[in-house]
Amino acid sequence: MSSASSATPTSDAAIRAGIDRSLRHPVMFFLTSGAAWLAVSILLAITASIKVHCPTFLDGCGFVDFGRVFPAHINTLIYGWGFQSGFGVLIWLMARMSRQECRSAGTILAAGHVWNLGVLLGTLGILCGEGSGMPWMEFPRFAWPVLLLSYIAIVVWSFIQFRVRAGERTFVAQWYLLGAMMWFPWLSITANTLLFCVPGHPVMAAGINAWFKSGLVFLFFVPSALGAAYYLAPKLTGRPIPSHTLARLGFWSLAVVAPWAGMQKLAGAPLPVFLPYVGAAATALLAVPLLIAALNLLRTIFSSEEKLPKCAPMSFTLAGLVSMLVLAATAVLFNLPGSSLWKVQFSLSGYGFDMLAVYGVFGFMMFAAVYFMVPRLTNCEWRYPRLINMHFFFSVYGIGAIVVGAMIGGYVHGSAAEAWLQPWEYVVDTLRPFAAVSTFAWCVILFANVFFFLHLALMWLRPDRLLAACKAKTEDRVAQSQQTEDPQSTTP
Amino acid sequence: MSAPSQQPDLENSVPAVASPPPVEREKSIPESGSEPISLRTTVICGAVLILGGLIAGYSGNQFSYASLFRDGYVRERPPGAKITPPAPKKALDAYMARGKKIFEGKCITCHGPEAKGNGVTYPSLVGSPWALGETERFSLIVLNGLAGAVSDGKTYGVMTPQGIGMTPEDLAGIMTYVRNHFGNTKGDVVTVEMARNAMKASAARKNAGQLMSAGELADHVRNLEGKEVKPDDMVDPLTFAPVAVAAAPSAVPVAPPAETAPATGTAPAPDAAPPVPAPGAP
Repeated sequence: MSSASSATPTSDAAIRAGIDRSLRHPVMFFLTSGAAWLAVSILLAITASIKVHCPTFLDGCGFVDFGRVFPAHINTLIYGWGFQSGFGVLIWLMARMSRQECRSAGTILAAGHVWNLGVLLGTLGILCGEGSGMPWMEFPRFAWPVLLLSYIAIVVWSFIQFRVRAGERTFVAQWYLLGAMMWFPWLSITANTLLFCVPGHPVMAAGINAWFKSGLVFLFFVPSALGAAYYLAPKLTGRPIPSHTLARLGFWSLAVVAPWAGMQKLAGAPLPVFLPYVGAAATALLAVPLLIAALNLLRTIFSSEEKLPKCAPMSFTLAGLVSMLVLAATAVLFNLPGSSLWKVQFSLSGYGFDMLAVYGVFGFMMFAAVYFMVPRLTNCEWRYPRLINMHFFFSVYGIGAIVVGAMIGGYVHGSAAEAWLQPWEYVVDTLRPFAAVSTFAWCVILFANVFFFLHLALMWLRPDRLLAACKAKTEDRVAQSQQTEDPQSTTP
Repeated sequence: MSAPSQQPDLENSVPAVASPPPVEREKSIPESGSEPISLRTTVICGAVLILGGLIAGYSGNQFSYASLFRDGYVRERPPGAKITPPAPKKALDAYMARGKKIFEGKCITCHGPEAKGNGVTYPSLVGSPWALGETERFSLIVLNGLAGAVSDGKTYGVMTPQGIGMTPEDLAGIMTYVRNHFGNTKGDVVTVEMARNAMKASAARKNAGQLMSAGELADHVRNLEGKEVKPDDMVDPLTFAPVAVAAAPSAVPVAPPAETAPATGTAPAPDAAPPVPAPGAP
């Protein structure tokens, strides 16, 4: 960054510190409330998962029926944690790379609260049975305009910062971040208009919903993750991205291909034939931007013999890049002609794919960014490196178990469903071991993320500082009272 | 950079960062390199592109709207398995069930849930001579709508044509339903064959596409042609095709495969094994 400016290293560091200070509260708010939502979401995931292998669990309580808990889990994961940690990372990265202090922290904070309120009311709506029933859009209708407007109020400042950036240079990371910022409103407005405002044929509605879901993954979560990765990899290592051309190809192939993906979910449904097949082909082609980005970034990281910096952001970035390679491979494998698509189409595998993209790719990159940003934002080193270690390993093993379990389990599930002369109970029985694995893995992830939340809150609120301030005040008072008492004691 | 902030929570009297602080330990992002795209990357991406093309091509007739999904996408049944057709029903019940659906979708809005109309704009169908009388006249009203006076000489509102999108099965169902429900007890079944003839007659009208009138209806006072079906005859509840009584034995959960049936030496293989006992089964 300093290479782009003529500032001396000291004043450059001062500019960065100023940017960090201007964004401290909005970004820490998003990261901390996001982490809290993540814990809530995982708790809901555990409930939903237990209900698969042990259906009598919490029986008779309508609020926690599988049909309500599962969508509540997904929606809090997406809109409670995913988007909020995305916001935190996105506005900070944009400000840093545009070298602009944030001048609207108050507005962003207020909009962040509105967003949280929307998510909270939406989640309660789902739990009360008012959900819309469309995957990833289950919040009742009222939530969507609220979320969209607060979204705009949160990210519009980053656009402005980009417009008035210092210098002409743009970073690869900025392309992806700009893309993510612009594509979500497009997806949201299109899907909401076609599904809620002017609903058409219900089969087409299911298709549009599948398109929206795929769009969120590949046009919001993946570009946000890549934005963070394209920032962190060169930043942490100080090594250049080897090929600018390749980065550009990766960005534009994502931008061109991703909007076509999604409708493969409806293969075999009475839609025009080309829609699901174009969706399947586009999803497979998405392996190109994913592979290009992952290879380019891995080559950045491993371009020199020097030892890599051993730090949490680095480990999480690497984990995210590995997830990205796996995501690319699954995107192709699940859609190959005559492949397992028809077996896994309506099975558990889709959940594995979603979790791989949301927690594996996006989540790990966000954690990497969080571990990089927070010491700068709060001017405080991470207190408990062991918690970070635990967060890393529990997340990697946990999500690995969930993804592998769901993908294999989904195949078994789908194959069992093919034996349609068997009662459905037989199909459910085949799922039981996989659901048990998933429950256990989510418990592990929950454990790590509860501490992640506490750690973040500790960094933001800094109770030690409050204590020190209190102590200083008390000492002052004691000193004062001693001063006032002293004369009395000497003049009896 | 701006002056040090005055906000109290930004004051760091307690040292919390190592020296130098994180912001000074950062490396700068170097300019991206200008390596060309390597052969390896090209090959990998090319392979993915080819696979993508295969997937797109696999659908066969991509832009044909004639069939909605790829041939063969809907699976064949596993070997040895039988599809159990729906249990046969008494003809009158089967037609009435279809008619009820159509009535509740189309007719109920004007003629009301009791088919009594409202006496002002919508006439009653209960006991109506045109509904209960000759079937061709009735069918043409349903298909083409009606303007002007009706059977009781009064003029109500205009009835819009209802035939659009109706199959012969639907027409037969709705006519049978009206003739045998709401206190009407005609007791006969308007069959699919008759409904087909009604549609032919409707298409053959001189002023096809216009509303019917009492005058024109006078030329159609006859019953539709077609083989009669007795109310108690057994039919398939979906296609209304007659089902021979012998083919509807008592319930067998899963029929044995046809090729093994003769070997068992029992009666002719029960091809149509209903999962529930037929309503009319003795």
